[in-house]
Amino acid sequence: MAVIGAFCISVNKELCVNANMPGKCATCAEVCPHGVYALDKFSGEMVVQNFNACVGCRICAEFCPANAIRINPAEPEYISRYPWTFSTVEEIHHKAQTGEYLMRGFGTHGQTPNFDMITVVPSQIASVAPLDKYREECDMQVVIGEDTCENPVVLKAPFVWPAMSFGALSKEAKMALAIGAAMTGIATNTGEGGLVPEEAWLARGYTSKEKTNKQWDPGGYLIIQWSTGRWGVSADYLNSGDAVEVKIGQGAKPGMGGHLLGAKVTEDVSRVRGVPVGSDALSPCRYYDVQTLDDMKHMVAFLRDVTNYQFPIFFKLGPSRPYADVAACIEAGADAISIDGMVGGTGCSPDIVTQGVGIPTIACIPPAVQALKDYGVHHKVKLIALGGIRNGLDAFKAMAMGADAAGFGSAAEIAMGCRVCYACQKGNCPYGITSQKPEMRARLDPIETGKRLANFIHACTEEVKILTMLSGHRATKELSSEDLRAMDVNTAALTGLKLCGYERALPFWEALQPATISGNGHK
Amino acid sequence: MKTINAKTKDLKALNTALKESVNGAPVIVKNASKLHGIGAGLKHGEVIIESDAGDYVGVLNAGATIKVAKNAGKYVADNMTAGTVIIEGDADYGTGQYCYGGTVVVRGNAGDFTATMNKGAVIIVTGDVGNEAGTYMLKGDLIVVGNAGRNFANYLIRGTVYIGGQWQSIGQNTKIEPMTDEDKAKLRAYFETYQIKADPTVFKKIVAASEKPFYN
Repeated sequence: MAVIGAFCISVNKELCVNANMPGKCATCAEVCPHGVYALDKFSGEMVVQNFNACVGCRICAEFCPANAIRINPAEPEYISRYPWTFSTVEEIHHKAQTGEYLMRGFGTHGQTPNFDMITVVPSQIASVAPLDKYREECDMQVVIGEDTCENPVVLKAPFVWPAMSFGALSKEAKMALAIGAAMTGIATNTGEGGLVPEEAWLARGYTSKEKTNKQWDPGGYLIIQWSTGRWGVSADYLNSGDAVEVKIGQGAKPGMGGHLLGAKVTEDVSRVRGVPVGSDALSPCRYYDVQTLDDMKHMVAFLRDVTNYQFPIFFKLGPSRPYADVAACIEAGADAISIDGMVGGTGCSPDIVTQGVGIPTIACIPPAVQALKDYGVHHKVKLIALGGIRNGLDAFKAMAMGADAAGFGSAAEIAMGCRVCYACQKGNCPYGITSQKPEMRARLDPIETGKRLANFIHACTEEVKILTMLSGHRATKELSSEDLRAMDVNTAALTGLKLCGYERALPFWEALQPATISGNGHK
Repeated sequence: MKTINAKTKDLKALNTALKESVNGAPVIVKNASKLHGIGAGLKHGEVIIESDAGDYVGVLNAGATIKVAKNAGKYVADNMTAGTVIIEGDADYGTGQYCYGGTVVVRGNAGDFTATMNKGAVIIVTGDVGNEAGTYMLKGDLIVVGNAGRNFANYLIRGTVYIGGQWQSIGQNTKIEPMTDEDKAKLRAYFETYQIKADPTVFKKIVAASEKPFYN
């Protein structure tokens, strides 16, 4: 139902035919059935005589020969028009005209349960005293695969860049991520699009293939992704990094594979992915060479074998059934498990999948941690939280809930310059991050952008350090859910965290969990 | 010629022994039917498996020749990039998936999803193949001397599929083209190389109807 005064009418006088040639055009007044517009008898100018009569039908904008009219809601659409917002209406028109569903990049928008309604509980007189951030040390190192492989990954800070493929990202963006990882001692990830050759040495801090000149300390790690599309994958590819990640799913489109449209398969992408220029590069929704959990165990076994038992094996999960999925990864032999909440980003996905499929990151972590505890491997098999992690505060909360590290995917893109336009799939990224066009890529300097990424990690590391020490801990591995409280019932229900004021978990969580799970983590 | 008895070995022990042994004459492996991933990532040499082979035999093969004297399990030569894998008996589900190069020859029948996502290998089955053979192929050749099941060459993107017998149903995004003299010469050469009794002139050729079959 239209509301009086619900719409703002803007007429661009520079474009308007009538404004430039009074009397020559009166289309808006002719098509508007509500008397919003009127022609001044004396001057011949078109005027908006009755704003309040506008119902937002936009027939004036539709017929304006100069495209000079814009109608916008006068107040947030979620008050005046929901569920039939302008964007919903336009989406339906688009489908009606083309028969196509909407595709877009980046992640879920709008309100989903997130870390914001969780607060950090500082130390005071009743608990161990807080620690001095300036004078005392805080251990944030994370070791992955220490008991299972010859060369464990030792993250200097509890962060990773999650998998983002070459193809979805430009070569320069991939290089910047590798440099940022080298500068901070964290790990970058090839993603499923094969290896950009430069990643292999940049991630370790070297400026050339020969590895004679180490430019960036302490040097980082390169995780090689093994996925359902298997782009550019060979035995040499698997041995070019420091770990192998078996991708099962991702937050933005769990249950779907990846899809690089032929338009983005340029010569460079073609060379790395090993597919012809212009071909659609489809990553299937599942592994065609895995049908059972035993198959997955055999896959992990041969991946370890091909890499000479040197590297840890990661798994990456989309947000589905965290307890059962994490349990399956543990059984398959994972050294680390990344679980990507529904807010996780993508280069291209059907809009309805990004918006409506999967569960929030905060609801993924507790069941995942429970599975690790039930198998007796919590903090031994490392849990990495992904999906909408924005800063050190979110990362701290994820780690206090039981994760060992956190990943910045969308935040890394933003640190590189992205302004979040949700159009990654078009290949026209003006910041050169998700484009394969030379003129766009030239705008991204890998070294300068690598420094921005490193700065971001340094800042987030300091944030985690502040929070860890004000909670009375000397190491991130000491964090526990006791360091957090939920600020509303909904968040307490989703996470099992103690509710502020109530000072205990909600009854159904208390009934489910043994007392030790939410116990005091202070040591 | 070295012989390795795999009966009491695990995958690590067998593959380590293979890597150390494949520098000279062919290496013979016995009792390998319960091991999965034999010869993973080998770059050269020749391995002859005298028993059945488990799943993933020749996975990530990067240049070796691997022969299985009897039957092989699932996912033969998975993600191979170079080399040759020959199965004298039957091969189970998913033979020659995700291969970038090399040659796979199955002298018996092969299961469902043979050559799925093949990206450049030549995969020859002298018997029949199951359903969905050649699904999502991007490059390379699938040559089936016998018959095929349902959805043959489904969503073919690029590459070529040849068949000497009949299919139960053909997949999406396919079209049948006439066999050229080059096609016949190519098949004849493969048949001679691998001593396969078949007549190239009776084969049908299937290619992709569109190279961009997705997105709506």
